[in-house]
Amino acid sequence: MIGDFLTVFTAEFGRRIRSRPFQIGVLLGVLGILAFTKLPLLLANAFGEAGSSIVLAGDRELVERAKPLLERDFTVAAVESGARAPALADLKAHGAASWVTLQSDSHGGMRFDMYSSDSQSSTAKSIAGDLTSLNIAVATSLPRQRVHDLLRVPYTVHALSSRFSSSRDATKAWSVSYLLLLVLYMLILINGQLLMASVVEEKTSRIAELLVASISPIPLLYGKIAAAVAAGLIQMVCWILAGVLFGGGGSHAGAASDVPDFSGLLGGSVSALEAIAFVVLFVLGLLQYAMLFAAVGSLINRTEDLGSVSLPIVLPIIAGLLISMSALQMPDSNWAVTASFVPLLSPFVLFARIAMSQIPVWQVALGFAINFATVYFVAMLAGKLYRVGMLLYGRPPSLSQVWNVLRT
Amino acid sequence: MLAVDHIHKEFGSARAVSDVSFEVPDGSTFGLIGPNGAGKTTTMRMTLGILTPDGGTIAWNGQRVDGRMRRRFGYLPEERGLYGKMKVRHQIAFFGRLHGLAGRDVAGQTNLWIERLGLAQYADRPCAELSKGNQQKVQVACAALHRPELLILDEPFAGLDPVNAQNLLEILDDLRAHGTTLVLSSHQMWQLEDLCDRFCIIVGGENRRSGTLAELRAAWPTRVLRVAPGSSAVRGLLDRIDGARFVGSTDGRIEYEIPAATALPQVLRSLVDTDAVTTFEAVEPSLQDIYLRAIDAAA
Repeated sequence: MIGDFLTVFTAEFGRRIRSRPFQIGVLLGVLGILAFTKLPLLLANAFGEAGSSIVLAGDRELVERAKPLLERDFTVAAVESGARAPALADLKAHGAASWVTLQSDSHGGMRFDMYSSDSQSSTAKSIAGDLTSLNIAVATSLPRQRVHDLLRVPYTVHALSSRFSSSRDATKAWSVSYLLLLVLYMLILINGQLLMASVVEEKTSRIAELLVASISPIPLLYGKIAAAVAAGLIQMVCWILAGVLFGGGGSHAGAASDVPDFSGLLGGSVSALEAIAFVVLFVLGLLQYAMLFAAVGSLINRTEDLGSVSLPIVLPIIAGLLISMSALQMPDSNWAVTASFVPLLSPFVLFARIAMSQIPVWQVALGFAINFATVYFVAMLAGKLYRVGMLLYGRPPSLSQVWNVLRT
Repeated sequence: MLAVDHIHKEFGSARAVSDVSFEVPDGSTFGLIGPNGAGKTTTMRMTLGILTPDGGTIAWNGQRVDGRMRRRFGYLPEERGLYGKMKVRHQIAFFGRLHGLAGRDVAGQTNLWIERLGLAQYADRPCAELSKGNQQKVQVACAALHRPELLILDEPFAGLDPVNAQNLLEILDDLRAHGTTLVLSSHQMWQLEDLCDRFCIIVGGENRRSGTLAELRAAWPTRVLRVAPGSSAVRGLLDRIDGARFVGSTDGRIEYEIPAATALPQVLRSLVDTDAVTTFEAVEPSLQDIYLRAIDAAA
């Protein structure tokens, strides 16, 4: 039995690793992670640099007071006197993207006009934000620093249940967990469906009968599933390494403070226990879904039917991802706690809760126990269906026939 | 010895095999014959342990056949299948490992069968690139690589050209010479007649006839008597035999169907006394005749 299992595992693993879909999947995943982690930063920097150089003009006193405030976010290329409307050539002459003219307004405050080669509302909003404290200071004659202090209401967050010491740590952990959940979702979906396609290929090519004439269907099924898990682990390592290598862009994002921060993959945000929990839940989740995909795949005879019959299995994967995303925000909500104990949803939601909350040990233990039990239960059902399904040709079985097989 | 004893199998309400029994001695070749849907493949699958009989037993050398025993058997199913993208060499080696070969045995036997089947130039090519005949050779290698004790072949000659069919016949002869027991089905009766020691005719899932060709012929109720010349004197004598029936005449010879129990020496003596007889031939029924009669009887 073990020998048969290893023979099938070795052959299937080799086929999987050498297959074009696997190699393309790994490469696309790495590129996807690169895009996910670096693209926002690159875009932000690209747009930031283009719009960051300005020329200041207008009321001399206002310009003098505004300049240090604007220099936090912009490069002041030049200061011009007067309040004339510039031409595009004037902007080009200074290598600037915008020309900002500051003036006092009729209510005692200030206003500005921005002349830009590209009407970037975000640049104007940013300038307006930088000059808010100056506007109030001019209107009220209060010292600008006093106004600046008043605009910032001091606050402290005292989290009663969070395991993070600061909101920055929590945000960082959220980013990393978000990425890991996406990796979990994609790996389970891709490897489960590849396994299903492999089973259907064996049936359509009629090699299935030769296989089950050589060895029992059970080591055949489990060998194939183990190969799918091993291939999935390799993909996971590649993708997480990509996340580690490319992550961390947000910490020095500069102009792009909204860019996700994945630097936690390098340490801090993901503890060893969380990493182990992730890998174990990935293996358990993939085992559950891979067995379902293989069992259902054994019941069909045409590759054209793959899409329609895989839908009922794909739905809980999608549901698990969506619920786990909300569990990242509210890991201790009743909804998240319940879902972390529901078979098939648990691998996603339990990981989200472990990553974002200090959940009681008994809940972790119960969650893992349910996942192990689900693997055992699904393995039994899948074995029954696969044993019969591999020799089933012609019209696909009805639901009542499937039920009869499962009952025996 | 393979002993199939009163097996039956049903799929839902459909009866696939009912009360089939036969025995296959070690090292012999056994022909399982029947029309499409007769239950041959189901019987073969039960013999291999792929399906479990609903009743009856199947034993190999006194041991009941189960899933663990299938490693010692080989099987060439009617519907051929290979991993299209896997190279010929790897495919054969894979099935060798599945049947328990290990280490150098796998490589050695793989190379041996590749040479033997003339597949050397295709050994490192994906199976999907091979012609149908060459794919069939690969499948034969996959089924026989491990020198099985029992090799079951479902329609092994289907799709083979005469040269490759002859090649396969030689391989089967060689396997039998080395002690492999063969069970095969085919619709080419002339091939089975030459190849097999014993037969079982299955119709509608039931065993209609079984035994050696001599035993099957012995149970045949009539013989065809071929006589020349077909003179009126000769015909008059033959017409007087109880149960005799004129079949026809060709090239000056006449053919009569007579009861199998007819004493042929006496008939010959009488004919010689009657006319100058130049041809006297009692034609034994062929396997095809026996098969067709078995099907007619079942209809």
